[in-house]
Amino acid sequence: MPLPAKAFQRWLHGIAPQASTADICRISGVKRTTLAQQLVRGKVAESTVVSISRAFNINPVAALATFASYSELAGSPVLPTAAELVSQIATMDLLSAVIARSAGAAGGGDADRPPPAPPLTPAPHATSVKNWVDAIDDGELRHRVSAATGIAPQNYSAQLTANRLTPELAIATSRAAGVGLTGGLVATGMITESEAGWPPGARQAALDALSDGELAALAGERLQALGKTLRRQEQDHQQTKTIWENLG
Amino acid sequence: MIEILQWSTLAVCCAAAVARIPSAVRGENRSLFYIFLLATLAILLSIDGPYVAIDGLLGGINVANLILRFVLFTVIFFIGLRCVNAFGADKQRRWLVGRPGLLVFGLISAVMVVFFAMMDSFSSSAGLSAVYERSTRNAHLVEYYGAAGRAYPAYVSLVLLPAMVKAVGSRLPGLVRAGALLLAIGGVCLTVSLLFPFFPAQLTPLKFVINYGAALCFVVGLAAFWIARVRATQSAPQKSSTAK
Repeated sequence: MPLPAKAFQRWLHGIAPQASTADICRISGVKRTTLAQQLVRGKVAESTVVSISRAFNINPVAALATFASYSELAGSPVLPTAAELVSQIATMDLLSAVIARSAGAAGGGDADRPPPAPPLTPAPHATSVKNWVDAIDDGELRHRVSAATGIAPQNYSAQLTANRLTPELAIATSRAAGVGLTGGLVATGMITESEAGWPPGARQAALDALSDGELAALAGERLQALGKTLRRQEQDHQQTKTIWENLG
Repeated sequence: MIEILQWSTLAVCCAAAVARIPSAVRGENRSLFYIFLLATLAILLSIDGPYVAIDGLLGGINVANLILRFVLFTVIFFIGLRCVNAFGADKQRRWLVGRPGLLVFGLISAVMVVFFAMMDSFSSSAGLSAVYERSTRNAHLVEYYGAAGRAYPAYVSLVLLPAMVKAVGSRLPGLVRAGALLLAIGGVCLTVSLLFPFFPAQLTPLKFVINYGAALCFVVGLAAFWIARVRATQSAPQKSSTAK
């Protein structure tokens, strides 16, 4: 749910009373036409608030929490669950971890500790939204979200498949799953892990805590999903090519 | 108003055919060039002035109208064939080029030719309106002849419709889906044109809108596929150059 322009203006006045709209845009990197359009329509996107608050060194979550529709974000952040943390590790990083561990095991007695795996790429990754929802889903989660927000289940799935989720739905999903409210905002890339209050190295720690079996099974699932997506893309590509050959 | 529609449809068709010449010379999908060319000819023959002139050369007994119908059949057949191949609609192929498809084509053509032969077809006029007004018998014959002429295009577009609807709802590029949507709309227009005999007289302008609207939908829809490919092949080298 985008933020009302009036509340946005009030907030902006609060953090930068002297700055003109042009200044704000220059500092925050928000396009001037974009902001003008959002103000004219009376609805300001959450991402605009996030960009501006970053430019003024304000925590974006705290900034969003000043708006009525996001007031529940206020207060101390709930730490993410281990499953959430692991869900925000890119598939390729999981696979590197598998390889690194097996290399360490093959080294046997010679190497006491496995070679250090490369640092994890920052969240979000290509399927982070869907992986996050899968990680917190108890089997009924999608049902509860659609009942609570009124979104049709197929529209919700479509957003997950496209690796998108509106901030409003992301928070509604967290609430329905009973986890920290900012997890979905991290998974959609709206805010960073540290902005959400995730301790540094938390994802790496969660990864290290996985047993070899858990890691292998998880990496296998991800790889299978990746294969499916790639195959579908190839099919679409092939179909498009056939159309060009016949009608192009 | 109707004249503007007729001539602008002709212009669009003609432009598409001309624009297609370079790729036809290069040997890319020549049949599309022929489709546009024949469509231009068909539309030319459906406009009053050119029709009377051309029919005059052919003896003034409205043979041009019969030619127009068969040109239309050819155009729609090849559009259908191209689309069936392009969209991999193998189930529908049988109904177009298989025995059932050819049977429908033969039957409709035969009926149309018989009706044409039975009427007193002299004195050229587009849409056979002069023949229609001569006697009740002729009026009926023109009605049946026209219905037969509309039946085959309607049949082909009905065969194509499921594949088009499926393509519109697919994950294909936007322009391809837009093209499929236009072909589907054109097909629906052709099918609605089967109901023309039941249209009251005051709706005659609507008939023209449906006829030429269908032609425009088909031509613009085919052009959309083509533009989509041109765009895709143009943007591909750009992408690789920025990647360097």
